[in-house]
Parts: sequence; C-alpha cells; structure tokens
Amino acid sequence: MSGGLTAGPAGEPAAGGDPLLQVRGLRIASRIQGVQRVITVGSDFSLAPGETLGIVGESGSGKSMTARALIGLLPAGVRAEGEVIYRGRNVLALPEHELRQLRGAELAMVFQDPFTMLNPLMRCGAQIVELIRDENGRPLRRAARRAEAVRRLAEVGITDAAVADAYPAELSGGMRQRVGIAASIARDPQVLIADEPSTALDVTTQREILARLREVQQGRGMGLILITHDLRVAFALCDRVLVLYAGSVLETAGAAPMEAEPLHPYTLGLLLSDPPVDRRLSQMAAIPGSVPAPGDVAGTCTFAARCEWRADACTAAAPPLTQVAAGRWSACLRVAEIGPQMQAARAGAQAARDGDAGRAASPAAAGTAGAVVTVRDLEKVFGSSHRAGRRVPALKGVSLQIGADEAVGLVGESGSGKTTLGRCLAGLERPTAGTVLVNGRDATQQAGLSRAERRRLRRTVQMVFQDPYSTLNPARTIGATLAEAIAAADEQGRDIRAAVGELLERVGLPARYAERKPVALSGGERQRVAIARALAVRPRLIVCDEPVSALDVSVQAQILNLLTEVRRELAVSYLFITHDLAVVRQVAERVYVLREGLVVEEGQTGAVLDRPQHWYTRMLVDSIPSSDEAWLARAAEAESERLGSGDGDDADDSRARIAR
Amino acid sequence: MTVITAPDSGLVGLASRRGRRRPSLLIGLSLLIVVLVATCAIFGSLLAPHPANAQDLLAGVHTASGRHWLGTDDFGRDIFSRLIVGARAAVIGPVLIALGALVIGNALGLIAGYVGGRTDYFIMRLADLVWALPGLLIAIVVVGVIGGGYYIAVAVLIVLTFPIDARIVRGATLQQRTMPYVEAAATLGLSPWRLMIRHIWPNLLPLVMANTFLNFAFSLVSLAGLSFLGLGVPLNTPDWGAMLAQNLPLIQTNPLACLAPAAALVLTATSMNLIGDWVYERLSDRGRAR
Repeated sequence: MSGGLTAGPAGEPAAGGDPLLQVRGLRIASRIQGVQRVITVGSDFSLAPGETLGIVGESGSGKSMTARALIGLLPAGVRAEGEVIYRGRNVLALPEHELRQLRGAELAMVFQDPFTMLNPLMRCGAQIVELIRDENGRPLRRAARRAEAVRRLAEVGITDAAVADAYPAELSGGMRQRVGIAASIARDPQVLIADEPSTALDVTTQREILARLREVQQGRGMGLILITHDLRVAFALCDRVLVLYAGSVLETAGAAPMEAEPLHPYTLGLLLSDPPVDRRLSQMAAIPGSVPAPGDVAGTCTFAARCEWRADACTAAAPPLTQVAAGRWSACLRVAEIGPQMQAARAGAQAARDGDAGRAASPAAAGTAGAVVTVRDLEKVFGSSHRAGRRVPALKGVSLQIGADEAVGLVGESGSGKTTLGRCLAGLERPTAGTVLVNGRDATQQAGLSRAERRRLRRTVQMVFQDPYSTLNPARTIGATLAEAIAAADEQGRDIRAAVGELLERVGLPARYAERKPVALSGGERQRVAIARALAVRPRLIVCDEPVSALDVSVQAQILNLLTEVRRELAVSYLFITHDLAVVRQVAERVYVLREGLVVEEGQTGAVLDRPQHWYTRMLVDSIPSSDEAWLARAAEAESERLGSGDGDDADDSRARIAR
Repeated sequence: MTVITAPDSGLVGLASRRGRRRPSLLIGLSLLIVVLVATCAIFGSLLAPHPANAQDLLAGVHTASGRHWLGTDDFGRDIFSRLIVGARAAVIGPVLIALGALVIGNALGLIAGYVGGRTDYFIMRLADLVWALPGLLIAIVVVGVIGGGYYIAVAVLIVLTFPIDARIVRGATLQQRTMPYVEAAATLGLSPWRLMIRHIWPNLLPLVMANTFLNFAFSLVSLAGLSFLGLGVPLNTPDWGAMLAQNLPLIQTNPLACLAPAAALVLTATSMNLIGDWVYERLSDRGRAR
C-alpha cells in the first residue's frame, strides 16, 4: 500500500484537530541470517490527543512490533521504514540519544507480562519514581520521593502506602501490573502504548486494569494505544479500532460502528467466531485455515485464502485501505457488493437458536452407576510432607461427577485448583486424600491391580493440554506419535498405518500429515493432533485443560466445533477446564465453579451463567468484557463486593504479606 | 468431516532454512582433520611410508627431508610414520571414554531426573563424590599403583567423566519430564523406560552429542598427558602423547619431532570441540518447537 498523504486514514484529521501521533507507511521487516521476513507491509494511522486507539490482531499480525516501532524499541535485526511523526519529528529517524529522551517522558509503554516488567530487586516505589526530577532537573530527596511514589500509586488505585516499600515478588499479578502502569506514566507521557496489558491476568483482574488505564488516560488526556487480540476488550475500552491481519490493516472504524456493522469479512469472522456467553450455539461459525505469514500473502489481500467472498481481483494486488463511509475505512475490494450478505450472516448468527434447550443434560443419568468418573472429597496438598516447608493446599475437598457422554465444565481463576483436579483425574498427580472412582474403580488404590489393569485404567482418562507448542514431541513425526498411542491400546492385528490415517481424518487433517514433524504444523493443527492422540486409546473421558486459550481467536471456534463433533460421533465425556465462561457455555451441559480449592457453585451451565447464586460466580460472569459503557464503571463496585465478601483478595493479601 | 488445511507456509519456511545450513569453512576444515585422523587410526601402518618402529641408529636425528617429511627421532625412526600410526593409540582411548561416559552418564542422569526422590539423591551424591576427586591425580595414582596399562587409564577416565554427563542429562530430564507431551505419553500407560528412552532422551540429543564431543577432546588431552608421564601406552607403542615426551630433548635438533604430535593433539581436540558445537546447532534446529 502506498504511504500517500491522503490515501489512508492518516490523512483523515482525527477527532480533536491535529493528531498527536501520525503513522505513515510503517513497514517493518526482520532480517535474520540474510533472510528477510516481512512483519507489516505498511500501515497508516493516527492518534488524537485524549483518544484511545485499539490495535487488534492475532498472532503474527505484527501488532506488537508495530507498538515497539512507535517508541523505537524494535529487537535487533528488525527494521522499520516509513514515518512515525510525533511533534513534527520522525521517531524512526531519530538517533538513539534523542529517542531515549522521548521514551518514558513523551511516549511510554506498558508490557504484557507483569511478572518480568518490574525489576525483582527494586522496591516498587523506587521503580516508579526512578526517573522523576524536580523542576530544576535534580533527583528528588528521599522524603519527596516516597511521597511522590505513594501519590502515583494512589492514581492507579493502590491506596496502601506499604506497597511502595514492597518488592514486586510480594505482590499479586494485578497489583504488579498496576505498579507497572504507575511506573510507565510516572513522567507524564503524552502517549501510552499498552501491549496486551491484561492478557496475562485473570479475567476479574483484567477489568480492574482496563478500568484503571481508562481512568488514568481520561484524567490526563493522554493518547492511549491498546494492543490486544481480543475484540471484546478493544470495544470495551477504545474509541477507534484498527484491525491488523498478517501485517496489513484491514479495517479501521469507531468502536461502536465496527461492532454494529463490520465492513471487512475478517472483522466479521472474528466477531462471529467469538463465542457468545448468553446462549449456546449448536455450531460456531469458524474461519477456515490458520493465520498465514505476512511474507506469504504479500501483494494480495492477506485474508483472501480464508475468505468466502474471495474473487480473482482479491489476489491480483494488495487492496488499499479506502474510505467507505465517514470515519470508516476498509481494505475489502468487494465491501459494497457483499455488505448486505455480511449483514445477513451477522443477523443470522445473532438469531441462531439457543442450543441449550435441545441438549439439556438429564440429571437422572448422573447416578453413581452410570458415571465415568466420581470424585469424592478430593484433597491435594503440594509441598513436602515430612519437612516443615511450605504446604500449599490446592484442593480442599472437592466432589464431582461426570456421567457417560456428558460434558462438564470446570471454571475458576488461576490458583483455583482446576488444573490440579484435572491432573488428578488423568493420574498425573496423586491426591492427598479422597477417592477418584474411574469406571467404578478406585484409581487412587492401585495396589491390588495387575499391570494391564492399571494401564487400562489410565487410558480411560486422557488429557488435552493448553500449549499446542509443547503438547507434541518435537523429535517425532505425527504418525509415530499416533501409532504409539494406537499400539498402546493393545489391539492386536489392527492395521496401524490405516488407523493413523483414520484418526487424522477424524480430527480434520489429511492423512499425509502423518509424515510431518510438529514444527511444520500451526497451533490449531497441533491441537487437532493432540485430540487425535487422546482418541487413539478410546478413552471414556477426555480432560481438556484450556485447549483453546493459547490459540488464535479465528482458530478457537474450529477446535470447539471439532470437540463437539467428536463427542457426537464417539460418545466420549469431557471435563472442560477453562477460565472463559463463553467457551464453557458452548461445550458443557453442567458446570462446576471452583474457587481456592472448593466448589462454590454447580449446576446446569445455562442456569449457572444466567442466574449465578454465589458472589464469585457473579463476579466471573460480570468480568466478561462488554462494550456497554457501564461495564468498566462497575469495576470499582466489583472490587468492593469482593472485599466485602471477607475473602483474601489480592489487595488484602498483599497487605497481609507486607505486614508480616 | 470437513478437512481444513492452511497453505503450507510452515514447510516452505523450513525448507529454505535447511537449504542455508551449509557448514562454514571452519567446520569444513575441522571435519577434514577429523576424517584424516580417523583414517590414520583405522589404517595406520598401511598408510605410513616407513614402519613406525624401524630404527636407523646410525642415521640418528635428522630434520625434515624428502625421505623423512618430518625428520627422525634420536633412534632414527620416521616421525611422520609414527604420527600416522600413533593416531590409533591417541584416538581409541578418547572414543571409548566418550562412549562409556555417554552410556553410564545418560542412564544414571535419566533415572535420577525421571524417578527423582531417593534414587535421584543417591545417584547425584555419587556423582558429586566422583566430581570432588582430583581427576588426573587419581588417574596417575591408580595407574601408578596397579601398574601401567592403557585400558586401566581409560577405565579410570570413564569413571571420572560420567558425572558430567549425568548432571547435564538429569537437569535436562527434569525440564522435559513436565512437558505436556511426556505427560500425554504417560496417560497412554507407557512404561517409564519407554518414556525415558523414546520420549525424553531424543529431545536431549543435541545436548548429549555436544557434550560427548567435548568429553572426547577433554580425554584426548588427558590421555596424552598420562602418556607424557609414561603412564599410558606401553613403551615403544607409537602415541602422540608419548612422542611428545620422548622427543622433548630434540627440541633443538629436530623441533618438528615434538611439535608435530603436539599440533596433532591440539588440532584434533579443537576440531572435535567445533564439530560438537556445530552438531548441537544442527540437532537443535531439527525439532525447534517454534
């Protein structure tokens, strides 16, 4: 795309007169060992003072590199061309020492990971005020420094002065991220760039952080650029949204108009493949394929290969971002033609019937006799049992039941014990107390069983893990991995080669994938293979531990559909562990809500999500991002409710720890 | 069921990455040296222009000439021939040591890392104990007391070397053990041996191979040191370390007599180290997860 002055939205005056930051033809490429890889092909956008711009993209879209280019923090070997104009100067052309003066003071950045962003050996207060100078340019005195740190902490909602004297390791993730934000804005920058600031945090903390960012931004009139993979988050917080895909901008528009009527098939696809939390769909709309590398689709519409409205012109040249309506820009050539069809698809999806009614679980079937797994009073304590070390209880007496052909959801935040419970069922952890009945047999008492019986017991429960990149052995081919699983099911005389092909086809992959190593597969494809491996031993229960949370949004729906399909055909049960209530709505009939090692609520998924009884469930439901103006505003209420419940929330917790 | 495939961008990228991976000039030279040494070690006396132990006492020491490319020692033996024949004694020990340490160290390291608990404690304290011994000194004492013997020296060096392998493999095993693909294999009901050997070990291969090359270079020098002290090969057997010691007095009359075996040792050891690094990179590339 050309970096012409008036060709892109860069030419469009932003909401409040002169733009604060103007990006023209930003092209980023890496060169490693002589091989050039395109990261972005040339993006144009602008940011007005006081405006919040969301940059939304999946992995490989180039969103993080774009953010880094804006403050001249690209990693070695990555170069940016084009212009990033801030106060009449091109940031990309500035020498390093001038850039350093700009960074932090004018343009600041908040990173994704609150666990590595802060120096673990420095007290939080010191990190915040490290570079603050008085009006004469001298470092502040000790007392003034501390007062300043406390004031800055209050700005991000930390009223406890003790936090200023705490080390980062003493704080929870949400607290650390708040300290990180305070440190980023300490020198009163004009532009704050937040790269996935809430992704590494729990859903309930996410809203709190987003609300703080918004508050700080509005209070100071800063420009805020929010980088995220989550359209819901972008719509909740941003004025304008820019959709980035495989290195090119596909659509920019105001958040509300874009949510109401997307003008690019990719944006539409993202919206459709985002599972709704208020109803269950029998089949989710999925975008086929996976995200390509920018270099492979340069010179064409980057989305063409996955687009159902593709025409010849789409692959002839890269379509420019053109103005479709006031404030609305789209890079789709056929947007005028297919607009009505896209709207119809959206309307159709929104009107899709509630699938809950058809698939209501029969509670009668969940008697102990028919149950695949029955868990009674399960306890698990981590830590040494004979030494006086730290003992961490992960499960404090959990009982649950999973019937035949039933999908049960297990939701909770990190630290709730949900993964530990799944691992106990799969035999990867030994419970401290309680029983796990698998097929009516006590899996915790294996002493009297023969070796073959023990293995059969193990195979009854299989597991699908979260990280698609480590779930497959990188040293072995897909075929070898599956063949081993099939052989483990010791069915003599089965044609293993044919069985591998069959399995691959069942999970929607061509049989020739058997020859490949995991490195040649995308994240979604690897997760398909992981599901095939679990199916190979004909299990009765598959424990799915966050199977889609590490995948791109456009691929998540594919995997969820696959899981539903597999279950329909093979009548296998699922224990679906997730933090995402919208996902659980799509796959599970019953749900257990776990909090600090205890089940706080259970019931039919629809009933629990629509009419949550426990305050914790209510908080989880309420923390799902929504573009409703009130959503962010309610963050403070939720916080006080949590405090009112008398449980150790993270603020409390940190105070207790500091007091010690 | 619908089959969904993306364009094979991953494979194309992989192929181009493979294509570029040609060994550098330095690695080429190292490979050449190692192949040369290996050829000498295998065919030895067939390649040598003179019998290695043929003496010409009347001729005595000579500097390099057309007949004797590297001159002769004070018994009139051809240095060049002794260098070629001596490769076998110089190399066979390090090969045995590297392989011995590989087998023992990897087995113990895998068991310690995978089984954990008391087994781990016992194995690693044993390794620590051996590690704490002053290596070469022990070798000198043992060989000195039991009496010379090349293979006794080799055995002692194996015992002294395996703790390095055991430690490295244990650490890497601990890291691999918690990987989802190992756990997934465990839920299939596979035996611990199969998990260790088929699932964990292949992923340690780059590390293991690199370390084996380092062990080879280290023991090449150690063994040569023992031979230098007269504790390695029997008298008269051509060996680089022994040649270095015997020909040291000739440094004035025929410097090549002791410099050539020294150079052979240094070049071989350096080449093996470089190749070890290269193999590590190659193998790590093979299954790169991201």
